[in-house]
Amino acid sequence: MKAAKMEKIVKTFYDQLEKGKIMGRRCTACGNVEFPPVFICNKCGCFETEWIELSGKATFQSLMVANGQTQKYQDLMPYGLGAVTLEEGSEVNALIGGITPENAEEYRNKLPAGCHAKIVQRDGYKTVMFEVDK
Amino acid sequence: MNTVVNQTKLHPYSRSVSIIGVGCTPFMNTVDDPETEGLTEGELFGYATMEAMQDAGVSPKDVDFYFHGQAAPMGSDYITPNIMAANWVGMKGKGSIHHSEACCTGYLALEQAVNAVASGKYNVVLSGCVEFGDAIAIPYKPACFRRKMPMNEFLETTRWIYDKAYTLGMMAGPVINFDDSAEYYARTYGLSVDEMDTVICHMALNNRYNAVHHSLAIVKEDFPEIAKKAGYENIMDYMKSDRENPKMGEYLRLLGTEIKCDGAAAVIVCPTEMASQFTDQKPIEVLGIGSACLESSNHNLEIHATREAVRQVYELTGVTPEEIDLMYINDFMIPSQLVAAEIAGYLPEGEGWKYISEGRTRFDGDRPINTNGGRTSFGHAHAASGLADLYEAVHQMRGDCGERQVKKLPKTVMLRGFGGSQNVTAAIIRTKEA
Repeated sequence: MKAAKMEKIVKTFYDQLEKGKIMGRRCTACGNVEFPPVFICNKCGCFETEWIELSGKATFQSLMVANGQTQKYQDLMPYGLGAVTLEEGSEVNALIGGITPENAEEYRNKLPAGCHAKIVQRDGYKTVMFEVDK
Repeated sequence: MNTVVNQTKLHPYSRSVSIIGVGCTPFMNTVDDPETEGLTEGELFGYATMEAMQDAGVSPKDVDFYFHGQAAPMGSDYITPNIMAANWVGMKGKGSIHHSEACCTGYLALEQAVNAVASGKYNVVLSGCVEFGDAIAIPYKPACFRRKMPMNEFLETTRWIYDKAYTLGMMAGPVINFDDSAEYYARTYGLSVDEMDTVICHMALNNRYNAVHHSLAIVKEDFPEIAKKAGYENIMDYMKSDRENPKMGEYLRLLGTEIKCDGAAAVIVCPTEMASQFTDQKPIEVLGIGSACLESSNHNLEIHATREAVRQVYELTGVTPEEIDLMYINDFMIPSQLVAAEIAGYLPEGEGWKYISEGRTRFDGDRPINTNGGRTSFGHAHAASGLADLYEAVHQMRGDCGERQVKKLPKTVMLRGFGGSQNVTAAIIRTKEA
């Protein structure tokens, strides 16, 4: 019945990106890392999760080449799209910079391939995409 | 009156369903306070849901299905917000439905959850509602970016609840809503405009008295204190001042209308026979929910639809008006309190205005209504308000409201939902004794 002090997860995530940090939430019970960060662990259902700074190291398991049709993301070309798994275990759909129609086959042949998180500026906020490891 | 109201006969649920958990956030204007600015709909839904789960003793794994309610898309910029909500509460992959019935959403949120369990399809169902009634999402920006929603911008959105074939074009329907029930009551029971004005002001005073005792209410200051600061010794001089409390129509005044705001609330239901598997608290059985809808070209629609919804639920349950211990009434236009309480038989017909004027409907009175302060003082986070009423009802029925506890522990409670020009519901819930 008491007014809870509500933690701002989304705002904290974006505030930390401004400081160059990529944050997730780690379950205190099973260790599952939620990225992007949310309240409750989707793996075990535990209500307790805590902030963790992510290493940014990741791999991608699938790859589609962007064809440039999405006008809003033209400035990020060239890039691909795929399922990215973070070093901490979370999987998320993400943009993967550095993928071109010319090199896509090379990366497809060595999936899962290495990539790393990259903070990019959008209109009024920063967000996260990934970039292939060279 | 010649309004046609088709009737429905309700049939008993296939199995008994009970409320085992409730949750509610503070009702607030998030963007006005650095402490809350940047909160998102996922977070508000999540907090209310987590509280309801913890209250019920269930984990996200136990929940089979969830309903998500939201009145208007401006606050979130989503039309399927149920999908995003799952991430926040550990329920990725679970099935869900989003629904939207404007200010009645929270009351029908209970209806949806109960029907889903009563049918036998699911055992544990979550129903949550969230609204940003005072802050608008900014397209293409993350959810923590919002801007204030001015009242004129909000009022523009009310066009979404009126019939565009005829009613909006004929103009009277949306406007007459403000005074429809007050005019009906004054005409039927012989009150002058000034006497009805006084009764409406008393309802606002009673709501405010209830709200200032509630930690989750948006208001913190009682009207007598506000009036004194404004230089009024007599509270009714303040309440009837056209400067301090301007009229919205012939009867209704500003302080008798909603305070729009942001908030969320949630409920968990399960088969009554399973409740003890999760919680030691007494389950609160949903005995029945009556429903009726009339759009705004129908005169006295609130009177007619409330009569039908109440008739349905009394007929189904066999409960009599004398058994109702406490009542919640969606009162974003405050005369609703008076007319709905009399139709339900909770206040005597034609006499209810006296109870209100004597303060007997405050939480410390003998016929309490809206012990949380209602829409005019607890606040109105449109979709979430119905479940916020349910949250308050459940805590009053458990007897854990401390200084706000009503005098007689309520066993049987009615909640009258209203909204969306207009859906009307009448739910009866009762504490299940062992």
